[in-house]
Amino acid sequence: MYIQVDNANTFIATGGKPFAAHLPTVVLLHGSGTDHRCWALQARWFAFHGYSVFAPDFPAHSLSEGEALTSIELMAAWLVRALDTAKVDKVHLVGHSQGFLVALEAAGLLGDRLKSITALATASAIPVNPALVETAQSNPKIAAEMMLQWGFGSPHQYGASSVPGMQPIGIGTRIMANNPLAIDLIACNAYEKGAEKALQLANVGCPSCVIIAAQDRMTPKKEGLKLALDLNTAAQIIADSGHMLPMEAPKESLNLMKKFIQSLET
Amino acid sequence: MSKSSYLGADTIALHSGYQPESDHGSRAVPIYQTTSYVFDSVDEASALFNVEQGGHIYSRITNPTVAVLEQRLAALEGGAGAVCTASGMSALFVSFFSLCSAGDHIVSAAQIYGSTVTLLKHSLKRFNIDCTFVDINDQQALAAAIQDNTKLVFCESIGNPGLAVSNLPAIAETAHAQGIPLVVDATFATPYLNNPIEHGADVVVHSVTKWIGGHGVAIGGVVIDGGNFDWLKSGRFPTLTQPYEPFHGMNFWEEFGPAALAMRIRCESMRDIGAAMTPHNAFLLLQGLETLNLRMQQHVSNAQAMVTWLQTQDAVAWVNHPDINADAHTKALFPKGAGSMLTFGVKGGRDAGAAFINALQLSSNLANVGDSRTLVLHPGSTTHSRLSENDLIAAGIGADLIRVSVGIETLKDIQADFSLGLRAAAKIVAQQAEA
Repeated sequence: MYIQVDNANTFIATGGKPFAAHLPTVVLLHGSGTDHRCWALQARWFAFHGYSVFAPDFPAHSLSEGEALTSIELMAAWLVRALDTAKVDKVHLVGHSQGFLVALEAAGLLGDRLKSITALATASAIPVNPALVETAQSNPKIAAEMMLQWGFGSPHQYGASSVPGMQPIGIGTRIMANNPLAIDLIACNAYEKGAEKALQLANVGCPSCVIIAAQDRMTPKKEGLKLALDLNTAAQIIADSGHMLPMEAPKESLNLMKKFIQSLET
Repeated sequence: MSKSSYLGADTIALHSGYQPESDHGSRAVPIYQTTSYVFDSVDEASALFNVEQGGHIYSRITNPTVAVLEQRLAALEGGAGAVCTASGMSALFVSFFSLCSAGDHIVSAAQIYGSTVTLLKHSLKRFNIDCTFVDINDQQALAAAIQDNTKLVFCESIGNPGLAVSNLPAIAETAHAQGIPLVVDATFATPYLNNPIEHGADVVVHSVTKWIGGHGVAIGGVVIDGGNFDWLKSGRFPTLTQPYEPFHGMNFWEEFGPAALAMRIRCESMRDIGAAMTPHNAFLLLQGLETLNLRMQQHVSNAQAMVTWLQTQDAVAWVNHPDINADAHTKALFPKGAGSMLTFGVKGGRDAGAAFINALQLSSNLANVGDSRTLVLHPGSTTHSRLSENDLIAAGIGADLIRVSVGIETLKDIQADFSLGLRAAAKIVAQQAEA
C-alpha cells in the first residue's frame, strides 16, 4: 500500500493482503540500501496467518519517494510518523542490520506501543569501512557488489537460492545499486547509542529475540552474542548463512521469528 | 549491470547452483526424478503453495535438478533469476505470454528463426497479439514501429540463419527510450561469447538444446530475467504491476522486484501451460554446460578456419559469417568471435547445393545447430520452408543458402568432408553447362 508520510508517497509492503490495523502488527525494517523485498517470504507468512504486516521502503528507497534520511534517529522518528499515519498502535519490531538500529531507536519513541523487538544479523553498533562508504558515494553499483560479496555466505556465493531458479545476489545487487546506500552506511556508522538502548529495553523487560547468522562477516557472530547479552535474551544461531540472513535463510529465520512473536500473542 | 556471482564464468559453469548434498555427498548434480515432494506438514504445504517459503511442490513448477541449471544459467548471464522450459520455443512463448495480452503488439527483427516467425506472425495473431517485423539495426525504423500497445522488442543476438548481428546497445536504447524492454534470443551466441544483459537486454532466452547442451541428446530452453527493467515506471505491464487474481492478488513487481518476470512465468506459465523441462534433460544439459567454454573455443576456431578455407574454394559462390568484414558493433559485442554458424552458397544454385549436402559423409544433414558434430542444412526447404518468398528474402535466405553449424571435430576432417561435397556440386555445374 502507499501512504503519505511527510508529503511523500511511501510504499508499505503488507505481505500480499490488505493492511488491517486492528490485527497484531509486525513491522519489518530493511537494512542499508535494501528494501521491503528482503522480507518477501516472511511477510507473506505473517500476512496470511493473522497478522498485519508493515514493511516500509524508507524514503528514497525503491518504491518510496522523498529525501533519504541521514541518521538512525531521523529514520526512527520517520517510522513512528509512518505508523501514526497508518493508525497502527502496538507493534512487534523486527529489524535486519541497519533496520534493527532503527528499531532500537524507535523503541524509545514508541514506549508501551512496543510489544517486542527482534534482531536479525545485526549488532548494537555497525561500523562501516570508510573505503566502502567512499565507493558507495562514487560508484553505487560497485559498492553494492562489494557489500553483497562480503554479505552473502558461502552457499549463496556458489549460487544457492531458497527460491528455486532465483539468484539472490543478482536481485540484491540491482536493488542496492539504485538506493541511497552511501547515506545509509554513513548513518549506520555514526550511530553509537545501540548498546545503551538495548540495555534500556532489557531493564524495562521488553521481550526480545536475537537471530545470528553463523557466517556473518559484516556484523560478526560475537557482536550478535554481545547484543543478546545486552538485551538479556538467548541468541539463536542459523548455520550456513551470512549477513543477508532474511534472503539467505528465509524459512529458518521465519521459524524463529514466528515462534517468538506467536509466543507473545497467545 | 552487475553479475549474479563473483566467480569466473568457467567456475560458474561447473559449480554454481549446487554444492554436494549432505545426505550422500554426491559430487555430480543428482537427478531428482520425481514428480512431487513430501510436505513436512499441512502448514508447510500451505506455505509452499502461497509462496511463504521457497521449495518444491510439483516438478511441472520446479524441480531440484532443473533449479541447478536455472541458477547456473542465471549466474552465467548475469540475471536475477531463470526459468527452464521444455524447449527454446516454449521459452519464447512463455516470455511473450507473460508480457503480452490480447490487443498488444511486438516489434521483432525480421531476420530470425523460422518457427519464431510463425509464432509471432501467425500463432500469437490468433490471440490478437500483432507483430511488426523490421530491420532491427535500423533504429529509425525500429522507433517508428513502436506503438502505444507495443510490449517488447525482440531480436536474436545473431540471427538465424542470416547471421546478422543485432546492435544490442543501440536497440536497447531505442526500446528503453519508449519504455519498452528488449528480449534477446542469444542461442547462437551462448553465454560464453556474449552476455546480452551487459549490453542492455532485459530478458534473455536460449534454446539450451544447442551449444549449451552440445551433445544433441536433450531438448530444453531457458528464460533469464535480467532484473534491470522498471516495469512499473514503464506503465505498460499490468501482468507484472497489477494484482494477479489467481494468486491471491499477488503483485509480482511489488513483492519480487528484479525477479518479477521470472516469478510471473513460474507462477502462471509453468502452472497453466506446463512446458516444463524434465529433470533428466536438465541433468544432461548440465553435463554439456560444464564444458561449454572449452567447446566454444574450438567451435569458433574451427568456424573461422572454415570461413577462410571456403573462401578459397572454386565451387563456392559466397561465404557469410559475422566476423567477415565485421562492423564496429559486431567486434564490440563479440571480441572472442561471433559464433560457429556460417552460411555459404555453392555455384550452381539449389541443385548444386543439394548435391553438396548429399555427398557429405562426416557432417550430418539435420535440423539442429550447436551439436558438437558438424551439421548442415538447406533452410529454404526445411526450417524456413513455411515462410513466403517475401519472408525468405526478409530473413536473408536465398535458394542456394547452406547453413553450417561448425563442430569441434579435427579441422582437416571437416575440410576433407566438405571437399567431397564441393566436388559433387562442381559436377552439377558441369552438367548444367553441358545442358
